Amino acid sequence: MSEVAAPVVEPTPPTPRAPANEAVLRLALVGNPNTGKTTLFNALTGLRQRVGNFAGVTVERVEGFFRTTSGRRVSCLDLPGSYSLSASSPDEQIALEVLLGRARDGWRPDVIVVVADAAHLERNLFLASQVIELGVPVVIALNQMDAAEAKGISIDVPELIDALGVPVVPLVAKRGQGIDALGRACEIAVTLPAPSRRFTLAPAVTEALAPMVERLEANGLTTSAAELEALRLLSIQHLEPHVAEVPGLDEARRHAAVTLGQIGIAPQRLESDSRYGWIGEVVARAVTTKEQYGRSLSDRIDGVVLHRVLGPVLFIALMAIVFQSVFTWAAPMQDAIEGLIATLGTLVGAVLPEGDLRSLVVDGIFAGVGGVLVFLPQISILFLVIGILEDSGYMARAAFLMDRVMRRVGLHGRSFIPMLSGYACAVPGIMATRVIENRQDRLATIMVVPLMSCSARLPVYTLLIGTFVPASTLPLGFGLQGLTLLGMYLLGTLAALGVAAIFKRTLLKGPVRPMILELPAYRWPSVRTLGVTVWQRAMLFVRRAGTVIMALSIVLWAMATYPRTSVDPSEPEVVQAEQQLEGSALGQVGKLIEPLVRPLGYDWKIGVSIAASFAAREVFVSTMGTIYGVGSDEENVQALGDRLRAERNPETGEPVYTTLVALGLMVFYVFALMCMSTTAITVREAGGGKLGWSWAAIQFGYMLALAYGAAWLVYTVGRALGY
Amino acid sequence: MSLSVSLPVLPTAPSVATGGPDGLLEAARPCTLSQCRPGSRATVLGLDDCGSDEACRLRALGLCEGTAVSIVDSRHAMVLDVRGTRLALGSALTAGITVQPLPAAARSARG
Repeated sequence: MSEVAAPVVEPTPPTPRAPANEAVLRLALVGNPNTGKTTLFNALTGLRQRVGNFAGVTVERVEGFFRTTSGRRVSCLDLPGSYSLSASSPDEQIALEVLLGRARDGWRPDVIVVVADAAHLERNLFLASQVIELGVPVVIALNQMDAAEAKGISIDVPELIDALGVPVVPLVAKRGQGIDALGRACEIAVTLPAPSRRFTLAPAVTEALAPMVERLEANGLTTSAAELEALRLLSIQHLEPHVAEVPGLDEARRHAAVTLGQIGIAPQRLESDSRYGWIGEVVARAVTTKEQYGRSLSDRIDGVVLHRVLGPVLFIALMAIVFQSVFTWAAPMQDAIEGLIATLGTLVGAVLPEGDLRSLVVDGIFAGVGGVLVFLPQISILFLVIGILEDSGYMARAAFLMDRVMRRVGLHGRSFIPMLSGYACAVPGIMATRVIENRQDRLATIMVVPLMSCSARLPVYTLLIGTFVPASTLPLGFGLQGLTLLGMYLLGTLAALGVAAIFKRTLLKGPVRPMILELPAYRWPSVRTLGVTVWQRAMLFVRRAGTVIMALSIVLWAMATYPRTSVDPSEPEVVQAEQQLEGSALGQVGKLIEPLVRPLGYDWKIGVSIAASFAAREVFVSTMGTIYGVGSDEENVQALGDRLRAERNPETGEPVYTTLVALGLMVFYVFALMCMSTTAITVREAGGGKLGWSWAAIQFGYMLALAYGAAWLVYTVGRALGY
Repeated sequence: MSLSVSLPVLPTAPSVATGGPDGLLEAARPCTLSQCRPGSRATVLGLDDCGSDEACRLRALGLCEGTAVSIVDSRHAMVLDVRGTRLALGSALTAGITVQPLPAAARSARG
């Protein structure tokens, strides 16, 4: 181990050390995936968290707040999990920029906590050794000490502190052990001199790197950070955006690579060779491992989970449970929420005078609130189940098993769960794409999730199949109606896979990166972390998507209400409603788009219903109910069916609704994105702002085009065949 | 999976420790990682055919030149023991990693 001649150069004047209790301590949390980093973050901050996005990118930014035992206020930024600072993913890129103090929002850490998994210390020390050289105070949080002990690994903490030159705090974040000590260590760490590199390179190597270091220093990095960057940049082939603008750096790098080559050193393996060489010594000093006999429990579980036959069977069984839980467990809760909102709406409506205000409150605002809250059970359940799969370690295995299948369409094994969730509802499905690390794969998955037939399409399918598809039984006991329904689900699924493949070959082109997946050891999920995650997701949905859904609900209400038409008060109420809708802005839109829907075999009444259901496809059924004067209640679906069958074209006298028209309409709804909640969540998950809106527009546009084209094809081909 | 990859030229870092203290009976020829059997051990010689970005990721994950790895599983894709962690690698990568197979203690006794 070399003596450290740390040149104590302070790059920018540090914020003057205010007495405790005054200045907020800014803490950045970094660590490898699967180190329990998020568990630690939740243990530190509880629910005092703020979730957002880093400026201009789809990477999530989670900041939390807490007080140390001495009362110092701490703002804690949970950086995305990274294996190194070598920025091979947008997540790692962001982590690097924040740690170098180059975040666009100007947030710079006072202290960096590296969360290291005690059971896999050797690999975790790679990132730690890089972070130590950033020239910012560092504390190592040695997490999962219990798991390490169970594996027969004991770590000599004082020895490790000596080797690393920074405070090391052993802890079990899951049980809250060591949390207070970590806070105190951070307060102490900021008063210590900044740590720096703990090993030396051969003189010839140092000499070769000197020009790079010089240029990086001139660009504002500390000596230590410049040395880190020089070594790191030699190991990667591309130049990252934040260093591309350093004058002369690229040239200096190429020159250094040539010089190193001349003395027989491969530049791309210099960093890993030096760091892992040094780490080997550190581990030899501080870690003793009792020889374990036989396979570990994790490996034995994998013997079954990754079994050729049992593995896929278990996978399908678990996915069935996921699907079932989102689809059916949520239903009673959703009914309860809808009932409650409707009751409240009626109660409030009763006190308001009859008129537009009451209509706005009951049909606009309360319907809007209901439209938001009704998603909460599905979102909560899905994130609970995903959280359990993720934290237990199974998710990595599921991605592993599905990788080969999903790879065929250019997606990743992790795209599977979001797509499966899409059968229940696209909103939680799109939120679940966060488990996909690669940005292109994540966007491609977001784009196709709404093609999976969600539960809101079911009322449309039910009405049309029940009314127009004969209930005949086919051989083997299959019912024609059931098969039609299955066909609609299959159509959506195949389209999703096909469209994903197209996106990955065009707009979201990128190399299909070969699988590199860590299979973490199995462990029990922490109830606390699960609770916080579910709460966080639910609140995020209410805040971000909820506002958009509310606003659009009110707009839609206004369009269906204004302008007021004079209705014949002698007619029954349902007929008055029909006349009112016909004269409203929405009705006029329906008539306006009639020429557009005519090639599909639709009249203006279907046009209005389609226009009304742009916000939420299930509205189609209630609008049809209103427009055909049978009322919009669910009990009237039967009456509506009868009414539709009897409907005749006033000019030709032919039935408006043939089985062919109904089939085309169903196909339309398989593809069309008639759901403002999905659009709202896509905007957010695709990066928010202009970027998010353009992806949402692409999604809406291609699905509408697909819907129109497919419905037209069904109708035209059907007619040509004489149906 | 086609494995008709011609053996790449060995990197000029031959002094990798390839054996235990008790010496080797016979040194197996270097091959690609994808050719190794589950249960066997091997030392990484080169990552040259992985693509530079992937090689950089693998090195950060501890799978670098000179590292001894065990093949835990190869039923779907290959699962390796790398410095105590379990890494699953796609076939595109395992075919691009050159290794020197190590005789496992039990295996070499059986010949």
